[in-house]
Amino acid sequence: MIAIIPDILLLLFPFLMLAFKLFLTQAQTAHKNFAFAYLFILLICQNFVLIGDTQVYFSNWQIDTFGIFMREIFTLSALLALLLSENYFKHSMSEKPKLFHFSEFAASIGFATFGGVVVVSANDLLTLFLGLELATIPMYALVAWNKRDSEGTEAAIKYILMGSVATAFELFGFSYLYGFAGHLTFPEIAQALQTNQASPLIWISVLFIISGIGFKMTLFPFHLWAPDVYEGAPTPVTAILSVTSKSIAIAFLTVLVFGPLNAIHQEIVPFLALLAGITLLAGNLGALSQSKLRRFMAFSSISQAGYILIALLGNSPEGKYAIIYYLFLYTFSNYLAFFIFSTISKDQSETFISLNGLSEKSKFLAIALLIALMSLAGIPPLAGFFGKLQIFTAAAENKHYFLILFAVLNNVLALYYYIQVLKSAWIDKPAKEIALSVSTKQKTIILILTLSVLLLGFLPFLSNNLSIALL
Amino acid sequence: MFEKVLLNLLWILPFLTVLFSIPIKENSPRLKRFHLASAGIVLLSSIYLLVRVFQNTVSNTSSQFQLLFETKFNWLNAISANYFIGIDALSSMMLVLAAIIIFTGILATWRLEKNQKIFFGFFQILAASVYGVFISFDLVLFFVFYEMEALCMYLLIAGFGSGNKDYGAKKLTLTLAIGSSMILAVFLGIYAETGTWNLLKLSDIVLPENFQFWAFPILFLGFAVSSSLFPFHFWSPAGHSAAPTAVSMFAAGVMMKMGAYGCLRIAIYLMPEGAKIWLPYLLLLIAFNVIVGPFIAMRHKDLKFITAYSSISHLGLIFLGLAAMTPIAFRGAALQMVSHGFLTGLFFATIGMIYSRTHTRDITQMSGLMKAIPFIGVGFVIAGFAGLGLPGLSGFVAEATIFVGSFENPSPLCRVITILAILSITATAIYILRCANKMLHGPLNIPKESLPQAYFEEKCIIVFYIVCLLILGIFPAPFAEFLDTSIFPIYSNLMR
Repeated sequence: MIAIIPDILLLLFPFLMLAFKLFLTQAQTAHKNFAFAYLFILLICQNFVLIGDTQVYFSNWQIDTFGIFMREIFTLSALLALLLSENYFKHSMSEKPKLFHFSEFAASIGFATFGGVVVVSANDLLTLFLGLELATIPMYALVAWNKRDSEGTEAAIKYILMGSVATAFELFGFSYLYGFAGHLTFPEIAQALQTNQASPLIWISVLFIISGIGFKMTLFPFHLWAPDVYEGAPTPVTAILSVTSKSIAIAFLTVLVFGPLNAIHQEIVPFLALLAGITLLAGNLGALSQSKLRRFMAFSSISQAGYILIALLGNSPEGKYAIIYYLFLYTFSNYLAFFIFSTISKDQSETFISLNGLSEKSKFLAIALLIALMSLAGIPPLAGFFGKLQIFTAAAENKHYFLILFAVLNNVLALYYYIQVLKSAWIDKPAKEIALSVSTKQKTIILILTLSVLLLGFLPFLSNNLSIALL
Repeated sequence: MFEKVLLNLLWILPFLTVLFSIPIKENSPRLKRFHLASAGIVLLSSIYLLVRVFQNTVSNTSSQFQLLFETKFNWLNAISANYFIGIDALSSMMLVLAAIIIFTGILATWRLEKNQKIFFGFFQILAASVYGVFISFDLVLFFVFYEMEALCMYLLIAGFGSGNKDYGAKKLTLTLAIGSSMILAVFLGIYAETGTWNLLKLSDIVLPENFQFWAFPILFLGFAVSSSLFPFHFWSPAGHSAAPTAVSMFAAGVMMKMGAYGCLRIAIYLMPEGAKIWLPYLLLLIAFNVIVGPFIAMRHKDLKFITAYSSISHLGLIFLGLAAMTPIAFRGAALQMVSHGFLTGLFFATIGMIYSRTHTRDITQMSGLMKAIPFIGVGFVIAGFAGLGLPGLSGFVAEATIFVGSFENPSPLCRVITILAILSITATAIYILRCANKMLHGPLNIPKESLPQAYFEEKCIIVFYIVCLLILGIFPAPFAEFLDTSIFPIYSNLMR
């Protein structure tokens, strides 16, 4: 029974946040401290429920090792997003805060996180779909959180429209899958696929499912909403979109591909390989000529989605392991970059130019930025490289050599644009001096994240523990 | 046991140095001394290790490398990568070369005025990366060290270089990244085919011929990118001319050797069948380096461009030795790796000293420098003589061995290219003598007050390198026999 306790705690979190504000106190600091402490303790709790076998609760709430690690990633991402958003809610003498209503904000993030948990616990198509929707709908609201910002509202509308179309695609695909198998539960779909000849019906269904999730995972050619939405949304929301939203989508696809669709895995693979390759290239080419940081991060995360997709070409335990390992490291690197951008953008817009002269103003931040970006670019010995290495080995075991060569060559393109950002921060001189103030708390978080990115990949600790649990 | 610890410390010590240099005051003399002391310790330990390996190596007739002082434990279990380091003849020689270049590189940057912490920090990380490359015998570990330099190279060149530095830095970093991507792809392929990254285990496994056929050219060219084999040579002039002195010395002296080292130790060793099929064709690319390189150098006026093209032609000779596939040619290639490291280090060091005084690298705008700064001038001329293969200096030994070895290969193409390569040495002589003549002789055209005599640390650098060039030039035999113990396994694998 113990494995389900963290899930219940997570479900309680948004309600507690709202109740806390309604009945206890209006003080924002209390809300913040409560949220941070709660999520932190939850993260530790999730660590203690590592179970070997799959456990099923309430007939279709399924908890397995993959699900537990995904839960940790979602919770970690939620915690980091709240820490990141803290400054945006802060009242100061000189300026008004950019965002209001922290406890509702935290509650929305809590709901979205719980949506992710539903996705990884699902054992039938309906629950899976519910989870995905629960994870997406709070995001629409989060994107438009700063309601006086017209760009944010525009982004939210774009996101809702695109997201609804994607949902429709998803449901259409599910309906065909149901029509083929006659059941909604995963084991029965798997059995139907194994016994029956694959009919065209299945291909239509798979095509629509992958297109639908492609929207949320920002795969080519469904990626074009991402730059606009990432640019319009407030920075913490952009961060959570690029980590939680993407991890939920990849978890969704993993649950399907290695679950009910495992019987036709070999037939889906060419399609996934093509999508992965084009997504990589599209993301990288798009990022080449950006000058706004959040737009740039959008394209960078599109190409990261391409990399993660490569892991699905591998076989089941290795592929799942590679995805989890990569997502952990990606979460750290990505949040590190966003934390640095947010400290810089406090008084300026988030463009490459506002990074100018960072190395003169704060060596610490400049080195942290170097580490974050080089990790995203996949340069050893930083975390990102080891994530990519695991993904490539998973794919190499099925002999997808050509795709691997294409993907590693794409890394060079990626290195180019990450170097462009480094150039702004390290080489270019600022037009006017703007003092940089970073609070001790922010510095501590950045330091912890930097150390994680530096050491988590190189030291075998994380990798070996994950592989014991998953392989 | 002591040697084992020392071997591990080689790459750990630079990182520790960076860590402990953080609290030291920026731009203080203590900071420089601290980094110099650390590099000195590494240099001494690498020399000690060379001596120990020299004592313990016996002549080798198996197809296995004779590894000493191994450290091995499981690292990333999920992909069965090990932490596996050891040392043999070739790696011990390369380690000493790298340590000397790093040590003198720090000396050459002694008068850097600002941002020392960043410069020396990144330079130490570069150092760690090359030491790691030469001692790791596990492909993942090897690649981690090999690619690590990309982290620092851009910032070192773009931040501390001269001229068109952003362009040069990007060109260098990205071109090298293309090479390492190709290497990574083939490494993954090797792992997928065999299930191990361990170089020693891999040498017992014969990779499928079809795989070797596709993988060998990708791996070889991937390594050749960092050794500036045609058509991947273009990063070298742009990168070298933009880089600060120490980084130029490092890039030409050690980094370019890493590629040739990888070609010999990994590409040819693991895929002998592929090597036999492809190397005769790759000779045509090598011919460009060897034959056209010196002629391009002749036309240039910028000292660093001249040296960069001279490096390209000398690296071509290494590849000629590899492509000839005879034991003597391999030995020559290994000797040339070490010898060229020393001479190019001296070249770039003296160029840096001249540039810091005249603020130009255009040889037509300098003249008569020998009258004002004789010490540096002599250093430059000796580097040039070593480059054109004057007997008594190391260049002659290495080049002559390569030519003898590659002429032993019966293929007509190889022989023709060898003959052309021997003739191209004349072209080398022409550009080096022209350079020395224009720059060092004739009337002095720069006020003597702006040309201070060589400083103490600069004299140290020059003397240091000249001693190395002479030792290798006058007593090559023990080193050649010593290197043979590493080369024979590669050759016997090739003939299997």
